[in-house]
Amino acid sequence: MLRDCSLMFLVSVLLAGCSAAKQSLQGTVPVPAQPFPPDALVTQRGVLTVRGRQFSVNGYIAKSQSRGLRLIMTENFGAVLADVLVNPEGKVFVMRAKPPFRRAWVERYIAADLKCIFGEATDSNCPVRVVSPTHFILERRWYKVDLWTVETKPGTQPAEMFDVTRGGNP
Amino acid sequence: MKRVPAMTAAWIALGLVAMGQDAALPTLTDSRPALHELQRKMSEVRSLYLEFTQERHLKLFNEPLKSEGAMLLDRPALIRWETTSPYQSIMLGNHKSVAQFESNNGEWKKLKLGFPQLLRRVMEQIALIHQGKLDSLTNDFAISVATGTDVAVLTLAPKDETMRSMMSSLVVKLLPDFSGTREVLTYEPGGDFTRIIFTRERHNVTFPAGTFDQTNPLGIAALRAAMDHAP
Repeated sequence: MLRDCSLMFLVSVLLAGCSAAKQSLQGTVPVPAQPFPPDALVTQRGVLTVRGRQFSVNGYIAKSQSRGLRLIMTENFGAVLADVLVNPEGKVFVMRAKPPFRRAWVERYIAADLKCIFGEATDSNCPVRVVSPTHFILERRWYKVDLWTVETKPGTQPAEMFDVTRGGNP
Repeated sequence: MKRVPAMTAAWIALGLVAMGQDAALPTLTDSRPALHELQRKMSEVRSLYLEFTQERHLKLFNEPLKSEGAMLLDRPALIRWETTSPYQSIMLGNHKSVAQFESNNGEWKKLKLGFPQLLRRVMEQIALIHQGKLDSLTNDFAISVATGTDVAVLTLAPKDETMRSMMSSLVVKLLPDFSGTREVLTYEPGGDFTRIIFTRERHNVTFPAGTFDQTNPLGIAALRAAMDHAP
């Protein structure tokens, strides 16, 4: 029930975010030249702040120069909250969005944030502040995420990671 | 019926209560004597220190996602769950409150937790279970026990359908006399699972001041040093 309620809270906030007007992009700084290897598995720890309350999450990002990005986001004890694939063209595939998360929210916010930090192109809708090479702050109107890169393992990731037909559970 | 969330179940397992069965071992026809013995053993444990390696096995990844840390329990209801690698995080709980700290380049920052009362409730449940009060689990799980010459294995299968959609079973492997925990596994319906391997376990130790302090918790290095000198 704890996790359910925590998720409910996050969802309520995201709901509010979905109905919000487009965020102001002023004052944001683009992510500099890629701080990550072209092919790597990156582990990040994040603290999500929503309406003054904070939640910690983990992110595991498989990065491939030729195949795209894959993010698995979990809560503290490993339960998957979101699973999203971004192909090299930038198209987003939400592989998993655990209830009560909605796929649209994962696509609109989590995938967008993923592309902001790991994507090749600099998107104008990237409210990212680079505090250090391992510390990013994403700040939108309704939430803020402090992200710390805690581990980077360079190397080619399995092709299955970037196969849109693989790995997604309902 | 009251449901036990996955997180609670994990905590329960870490509290040495929930247990699973190994298919290779014979399952006891009547698990009650074994559970009774487990409760008796647990009631003798005043405090507990465990170090662990957690492996998150996801089908998509070639290798498990690993983390390391320590868990500390002290009666009546003090709990500390600390991750030391690849990131640093401390969760602390007692009867009244919970706290979480995250390390940012070596500097600890206390989070303004969302829904702290829910986490506190989970902590309370862990403490109760740690005292050997297993009765509440039987409403939520079908518990079976299997024993072998070098391991005792308990399986908790959730009765609730919603719970089963998140966790198909929870397995705890113990020393055959229930005097220590070897590992805990949680299996998910899609084939992913989590394995927690305990590498260091101390019973009835006296923790240093500040171990469970929710304002300025004692550092893990000092704790480990204290455990090195514990009887």
